[in-house]
Amino acid sequence: MTDRPAVDRLTCVLCPVGCELEVARTAAGGVAVAGNRCDKGVSFAEEEVLRPKRNLATSVPAKGTAARMVSVRLSAPVPREMIFPVLAEIGKLRPEAPVRRGQVLIADVLGTGADVLATRTVRGQT
Amino acid sequence: MAETPRTSDVDVAVIGGGPAGLAAALGAKRAGAGRVLVLERDRTLGGILNQCVHDGFGLFLYKETISGPEYAERLAENALREGVAVETGAMVLDLGPDRLLRVNARGGYSLVRAGAVVLAMGCRERTRDMIGIPGTRPAGIYTAGSAQRLVNLQNLRVGNEAVILGSGDIGLIMARRLTFEGVRVKGVFEIMPWANGLERNIRQCLMDFGIPLELRTTVVEIRGRDRVESVVTAEVDDRLAPVAGTETVVPCDTLLLSVGLVPENELSKRAGVELSPLTGGAVVDETLMTSVPGVFSCGNVLHIHDVADWASFEGFAAGERAARYAAGERPAGRTVRVSAGPEVRYALPQTARAGAAGVEWSFRAVRPLRDVRVEVRGRDSGRIYARRKFGRILPSELQKIRVRAAVDEDLEVGLHD
Ligand SMILES: Cc1cc2nc3c(=O)[nH]c(=O)nc-3n(C[C@H](O)[C@H](O)[C@H](O)COP(=O)(O)OP(=O)(O)OC[C@H]3O[C@@H](n4cnc5c(N)ncnc54)[C@H](O)[C@@H]3O)c2cc1C
Repeated sequence: MTDRPAVDRLTCVLCPVGCELEVARTAAGGVAVAGNRCDKGVSFAEEEVLRPKRNLATSVPAKGTAARMVSVRLSAPVPREMIFPVLAEIGKLRPEAPVRRGQVLIADVLGTGADVLATRTVRGQT
Repeated sequence: MAETPRTSDVDVAVIGGGPAGLAAALGAKRAGAGRVLVLERDRTLGGILNQCVHDGFGLFLYKETISGPEYAERLAENALREGVAVETGAMVLDLGPDRLLRVNARGGYSLVRAGAVVLAMGCRERTRDMIGIPGTRPAGIYTAGSAQRLVNLQNLRVGNEAVILGSGDIGLIMARRLTFEGVRVKGVFEIMPWANGLERNIRQCLMDFGIPLELRTTVVEIRGRDRVESVVTAEVDDRLAPVAGTETVVPCDTLLLSVGLVPENELSKRAGVELSPLTGGAVVDETLMTSVPGVFSCGNVLHIHDVADWASFEGFAAGERAARYAAGERPAGRTVRVSAGPEVRYALPQTARAGAAGVEWSFRAVRPLRDVRVEVRGRDSGRIYARRKFGRILPSELQKIRVRAAVDEDLEVGLHD
């Protein structure tokens, strides 16, 4: 994960206006936002610059199936710096078919509160 | 001696089992069609969604964001529950007069006679040949979508160091996906002065991982004998021609192309369906019927959709109209033509029955604009049928505008200050 520049430019995606925000970090550890046409832009920028969260998706090979891959995602976004640690946990998975869509493959992965879910149904070999 | 092929009769036949086709089948069923059959050449339903494992689908249809495979499974389960018949492993070879389909099915060659047909064959990706990059022809060059299929469905590693040409969403999604797989993505190069993908994807797929995005830059040469060894990038001028002296050699073993999608209309062409040079898909009226009576079109085969939900909604509409056609309803009367006005690449449907009310037009902007109004204007009267303000509008986002009033003259959809 790379360090962001001191002033971050981002487009607010909360409504179709799409304000282009300039977000500077303050000495107090907060942010100063410019370019927003409404207050929502400030909380959007705070969240995205100070505490960005991401969902992530990948796929893992299943044991004993013809359709070899089980796709997975998280039940909720996790702090961005947890992306690679969580991917490493998912990388150890070899789910045994049958797998149900929505099945929890890892509960509360690395204590993030998010579960790793299967996003595809894979039947067992018949 | 030739055997007589198996022949079946259906009310509505849908070609393609992606989101548009599944939604069309559901739309037809819900509108009262008796026998509705989806013909899908792949082993599974769901189309391109099966390989789009990332989340972000379904916000409008399901009111939550889910991944492509979940979206596909849910739609397919609904279709089966509501009595849609499905044949996978069934490639439609030909659509003949009187809506007779020739199908290469699991059980062999067969015929399907349909009261109405919905085209939902999706799209293809533009390839290197279509954009003409000079150089050698080594291994290691993929379209972004085919790389997505290899990585997500077949667990194959495409390379170690990748360059991505084109900033479309599929390329951006793949930049992140390859990074997850330990591939070093050295940059995304985009010939236009603006990025083609969603803002969210630029942030979450490139900036999060420090992957550079170079605008006004393209790949002018591919080097390497057996395998890609490097690509040469160059900046382009206002007319998109490479500027001499700006060449940079970027060592890599993999090049992904994310340079656009084209509707898959070989079948439609052979069936005599009139195509639009602006969309690459069929010319349709407000019921999504093509120039061939009883043949409807929806989803990426009609025009490229960036959001699967729009393809599904178009599918529901096309399916409903197909069911009504199969039941004997025939639209009658004069038609008006709809054209693209200032700053608009295309507007769809391209025609509408005079007197039709509540028609929704899809359109795309030519370039990014801020603070504009889209207007649907009468070409003769100058009357404004509908108007909508946009804080900003991007070519990569398909937009819609609905006209509540009945239309009775040729129209133009344009963007104005
Ligand atoms: C690579 C890629 C990635 C994408 N990523 C996203 C994304 O992240 N988010 C998003 O919202 N949208 C995304 N999209 C767009 C979205 O997925 C599409 O808008 C949507 O899938 C279009 O649905 P469709 O049913 O028109 O086409 P498709 O999903 O392509 O389905 C077409 C189906 O028709 C079948 N078919 C074709 N010809 C025949 C024939 N002759 N006989 C029988 N069957 C046939 C094909 O096998 C296929 O299953 C992506 C598109 C592509 C191409």
